[in-house]
Amino acid sequence: MRINQELLIGLKPIYNTITFEIKKQRKKFFAFLVLIIMVSIAIAVITGLTPSQAQPDTLVDFFYTALYFIIFLEDLAACLFFSAIICSEFDKKTGFIVFPKLNKYKLIVGKYLGNLILVLILITSYYIIIGLTGLFYYGGKTSIRIFHSYIVALLFISALSSFVTFFSSFLKSVNGTIVITFVLLLFGFMIIDSLVGLIFAEKFEPLYSLAFLGNLIVNILADPFPNPRYIKVDFEPGNPDSGSIVQWLTPSIGGELQ
Amino acid sequence: MSEAIIKLENLTKKFGNFTAVNNINLEVCRGEIIGLVGPNGAGKTTTIKMIAKILRPNSGRILIRTNHGDLEDLQKVSATVTQMGFLIDIPEFYKMTAYQLLKYFAKLQNYPKNKINERIDWLLAFFKLTEWKHENVKNFSKGMKQKVGLIQAIIHDPEIIILDEPQTGLDPLARVDIRNGIKALQSQGKTIFVASHMLYEISEICDKIAMINRGAIIGFDTVENLASALKTSEVIFEVLESITPHELDPLLSRLTEKLNPYLDKDLDPSVSKIPIKYYPEEKELKIFYDGNNKSKGEILKILIKEFESDFTVVSYTQEKTSQLERVYTQMVKDNEPEPNIQDVKIKEKKKKFRLRKGQLKGEIKK
Repeated sequence: MRINQELLIGLKPIYNTITFEIKKQRKKFFAFLVLIIMVSIAIAVITGLTPSQAQPDTLVDFFYTALYFIIFLEDLAACLFFSAIICSEFDKKTGFIVFPKLNKYKLIVGKYLGNLILVLILITSYYIIIGLTGLFYYGGKTSIRIFHSYIVALLFISALSSFVTFFSSFLKSVNGTIVITFVLLLFGFMIIDSLVGLIFAEKFEPLYSLAFLGNLIVNILADPFPNPRYIKVDFEPGNPDSGSIVQWLTPSIGGELQ
Repeated sequence: MSEAIIKLENLTKKFGNFTAVNNINLEVCRGEIIGLVGPNGAGKTTTIKMIAKILRPNSGRILIRTNHGDLEDLQKVSATVTQMGFLIDIPEFYKMTAYQLLKYFAKLQNYPKNKINERIDWLLAFFKLTEWKHENVKNFSKGMKQKVGLIQAIIHDPEIIILDEPQTGLDPLARVDIRNGIKALQSQGKTIFVASHMLYEISEICDKIAMINRGAIIGFDTVENLASALKTSEVIFEVLESITPHELDPLLSRLTEKLNPYLDKDLDPSVSKIPIKYYPEEKELKIFYDGNNKSKGEILKILIKEFESDFTVVSYTQEKTSQLERVYTQMVKDNEPEPNIQDVKIKEKKKKFRLRKGQLKGEIKK
C-alpha cells in the first residue's frame, strides 16, 4: 500500500508536466488540426470532383489513396512537436527554473507523453475524418484492415517521436533539430535506402529506415499484399543485363524478415 | 545562537582541469540572510547549482536540516529540496501566462491544491503584478520577469530561499521592489542565500557576507567585522555650514594634526591619498580612521569640542557599501596567486623577442 502511495507521489510530477505540456502546445495543436481538416476536406472535394470511372472502386481503395498523405503529416508532426523536448530547456535556459523542482528524467518523460498524446489525437482525427468521408462516398462495411492501418500509423508516430527526441538530446537549437530531422525523414532515409538497394539488392531489407517502415501504413491496405515486397528497376528499361537497383516497397505485416 | 540549516563541507567542483569551486566550507543559520559576493567566474553560480542539485560536486557534501531535525546529506534526501526555493541566473520562462506558469510550479512543489490560487494572487499583488496575471510572460519586461522568478522561488513557501543575482539588469525601482521583497521574506523568518555583484544591495540586506574568489571563500563575516579585520574604515560627518575654499586647507591641516593618532596610517592610495576629505556639495567630511570603534568615538568628540567654532557636526554615518567595496577589493587582491617565476621569465623573453622583431622590421623598411 505504501509502495503504491510512493509510486503515485513519484508519478504526480509527470502527470502535472503532461497537462502543462498539453496546455503549452495547444496553439500548435489547433494549427495542425486545422491543417489536417483542410487536407481531409481537400481529399473529399477532389474525390467528389473526380470522374466516377477514375474514382477508387472500394472503401479500402479510397483509404489506400487518401492515406498517402499521412506519412508526410506524421513526419511533420513529429518534427514540430518533439524537437523542443530536450534542447529547448538548454537553448532557452528554462531548465534552471524547472530542474531544481523536478527530476530532469520526469520532466522529459512528462513532456514526451504530453506531446505524444497530442499527435495521437491528430492522427486519430485524420483517420476519423477520412473514414467519415469514405463512408459518405462509399457507404457499406468498413474493413478491419483500415483499423490495422490506424494501429500501424500510431506505432509509426511513436517511432518517429523517439527518433526526433533522440536528436533533440544532442542538438543545440530547436530550429536546427526541426530542419535536420525533417530533411533526414524526407530525404535522408530514401537516399540511404537507395544505396543499400544498390549494394545489397534483395539480400538486405532496410528495417532500420523509418521512411521504409512508414510505407506499411498504406501497403497494409493493398490487396493482394505485394509479394515479393520489392521491385527490381533496371538501369536501362527492358534490359536486365544493364544492372538493376532494388526498391523495397513495404515491410511485412508481421514484421518478420524475408 | 540559532542552529545551522545548511552546511557546505569541503565542497569542490571541477570542470576538466578547471576548479570552479575549491574546498568551500560555509554554514548558514536559520533566519539569516547570507550574501555570496565575488567577481565573474568566482564560483557563485556553480555553488548555487550544486545546492539546487543541478550540478553534482566532485567532492565534499552539502548538509541540510531535515524535518526530523538532523543535518543530512542533500544528495540522499530528495524530498528536502521542496524546503528550498531557487532563482538561478536571469530567469527564462516558457511562453505561457504568469498564472499558468506559477500554477505549474506550485503543483510541482506539492503546494496544497486548494490554496494555490490564493497564494498566486497574494504574491502577484505583493509584487504589483496582479493586472499581468493572465498575460504571456514573453511580453514582460526584464524586471517583471525577475519578479516572476522570485515568486516561483517562493511559491511553495519554502524555508530556505536561494537567489542568484536577483537584481542584475534591473532599473532602480525594480531593484527596490526586489530588495523590499527579500526584506519581507526575512521578516517572516526565512533563511536567504543571495549571490550578487551588487555590493550596495548585498550590504543593505545581508546579515553576513561570504566573499568568494577563484572558487574559494576568502572571507565570511558581517560587513563590520570584515572591515575591522582589515583595520581600516571610513566615517562620514555631515556639517551644517559650508566650508569655504580658503578656509579648507588650514582646516584640513589642523584636523589631520588633531586626529592623527586615530587616522589610517596605511591608507591605500587607490582609495584616497589623504585621510581626511571634504565634499563641498554634500557638506560632508570623510575621515579614514584605523577601524577601531574607540577611535571613531574619539574623532567625534574632537570634532564637536575642538572644532566647534569651525563647523557644526549634524550627523555621522558609516557607509556600508564603500566599506564593503574596499574590503572586497583588498581581499581579492590579497588572494591573487603569486605569478609563477618561470611564466614571468617566458613572458619577458617573448616581449623581448617581439620588440627585437619590431626593430628588425623597422630597419628593413628603412
